Amino acid sequence: MLTKINSVAHLGLLSTKVTVEVDVAAQGFPAFNIVGLPSKAVEEARERVKTAIVNSGFTFPDKRLTVNLAPADFVKDGSCYDLPIAVGILLASGAFVAKTDLSNALFYGELSLNGEVRHSRGVLLVAIFALKEGFREVYIPAESQREAQVVSQVKSRPVSTLLSLVNYFEGKARLLSQKTALPRVENTGGVLPDFGEIVGQLAAKRALTIAASGGHNLIMTGPPGSGKTLLARALPSILPPLTIEEALEVTQIYSASGFLRPGEGLVRIRPFRAPHHSTSLAGLIGGGSRVKAGEISLAHQGVLFLDEMAEFARSLLEALRQPLEDGVVAISRAAGRVEYPARFMLVASVNPCPCGYLNHPKKSCHCSIREIDRYRRRLSGPILDRIDLHLFVPYLEAEKLTATSPAAESSAVIRQRVVNARKIQLSRLKPYRMYTNAQMQNKQVRQFCALDPESNRLLRLAVDRHALSPRSYFRILKVARTIADLEGALNIKINHLAEALEYRSRAF
Amino acid sequence: MKKQNKQIGNLGESLAAKYLEEQGYTILERNWGNKWGEIDIICQYHPGGDMHNLSGVIVFVEVKTKTGAAFGAPTTMVNPRKLFQIQRLASVFPAGINQPKRIDVIAIVLTRERKLQSLNHYQAVY
Repeated sequence: MLTKINSVAHLGLLSTKVTVEVDVAAQGFPAFNIVGLPSKAVEEARERVKTAIVNSGFTFPDKRLTVNLAPADFVKDGSCYDLPIAVGILLASGAFVAKTDLSNALFYGELSLNGEVRHSRGVLLVAIFALKEGFREVYIPAESQREAQVVSQVKSRPVSTLLSLVNYFEGKARLLSQKTALPRVENTGGVLPDFGEIVGQLAAKRALTIAASGGHNLIMTGPPGSGKTLLARALPSILPPLTIEEALEVTQIYSASGFLRPGEGLVRIRPFRAPHHSTSLAGLIGGGSRVKAGEISLAHQGVLFLDEMAEFARSLLEALRQPLEDGVVAISRAAGRVEYPARFMLVASVNPCPCGYLNHPKKSCHCSIREIDRYRRRLSGPILDRIDLHLFVPYLEAEKLTATSPAAESSAVIRQRVVNARKIQLSRLKPYRMYTNAQMQNKQVRQFCALDPESNRLLRLAVDRHALSPRSYFRILKVARTIADLEGALNIKINHLAEALEYRSRAF
Repeated sequence: MKKQNKQIGNLGESLAAKYLEEQGYTILERNWGNKWGEIDIICQYHPGGDMHNLSGVIVFVEVKTKTGAAFGAPTTMVNPRKLFQIQRLASVFPAGINQPKRIDVIAIVLTRERKLQSLNHYQAVY
């Protein structure tokens, strides 16, 4: 007998329908073959499915089984075909009779040897695909149900074991959702540093507030130990929460990458990714034979923090140029072309010179001019041109550290300011499907960043004097817009523009 | 143990030969082979039971016999390597060059008392 079960294959964030055809032949030497370009992981489904069926109390048919994954012209990868194959075999061999129509359902999940259905990656994408293609229900691992429930229009059927699914089809039992107690873990894996605990560095805090509000890129230069890393680590504490739309985009990437834990639904915390400078190109941008999302995509709608940016390989930094501008990265590999969103906020930190003490008030710098020159050339003009806020984080005098100065503003207070500024941006940019000022295209900049004559004169002067690129010109206007939004001002005034220009003067 | 397996194998082959004859096959050879290995049974099927009609398909039969189910079904013990061995041997079988050929497997399960429990004949397995 022949049965057809619907399942889904993912390539990047795009899904395609895969029909799992199972034939149990009446004649022929007993065998179990999978055809339709299965990868090694799918090939191994044979042993998992066989054992899971036997251990669930069914008999594995002693007949010739042929499983076809159609369409057969692209490689099926992953362990998610276990469930559809097992259901197909049980149906085709007549182990049970389904009382419901399965042509309108998708099956997805990995089996464990004892017949349990395991948490699988990409369940959210399955639910989204079901909605788009008009499938009414999805049978997915019970542990991953929260992901599927994000798409409320599609009925998600939590499957905890193969046996429970068969009992459900025979009308003997209901499918129960699994209540997984989620440990509350912050996404940095610890307690976030609070801005209130950081002494001084008011200018840096102000710049970080602006960057967080408008989603602008920022680079911090300063001697070792001045607090660059600490400031960056505290940045997540002032980032606004993800909106529903943003969360959906982020969760898709995390679901496809397998970074969601069992029982996790929408990602609520804005991503903060801090890859080490030894990271590979595929690790940062995305790629590999399975075309995985890189750090820049995992930082989508969040922060990509490059600590010691000058230590990153030149090729890595140059590869950031295109996604920094477009907010999306297209990766073409043998497996196909994949587009991952990568609209992140770049936060970088560097030392001013190899020894780190250039222009230090107390220590002397040992670097030769050539050494400094070579060090600075590691960050190319095009990269620095894409960074809106250039910031010098100075060495902190000892008396400032020990003095019982009035407590600094806590992150909660700053965050409220950031949230308010975001709200203003969102209400203005919603028609264009943008969330922050940094995302504005030139057209929106012209529309929303009109200057008064006095400010216009100042900007022209600055562009002339510093030979600013047209890109810088637009970026300055966007930063000025954010500064105005932070103040709640309707129009950009000259002081907003002046502050934006201030951050443009390169410290590195 | 080895000796016992051999005995069981021979018993199975006799049972299989008897079964084939009942089904209308003529046994041509038993345990035919060379240094490449051995084919348990070579037989020929005569269309319509006519013994003089020599156009029938020549069948190379691998017999696999097991006692009890403790180590799995006999069919799981016939792997592609074994089938390839039979195919290679079959290719040098001198008789019936113009006849169609086929490789079959007969899977026999015996009870502990060496009584026939089940006999499955799988045709054209290769």
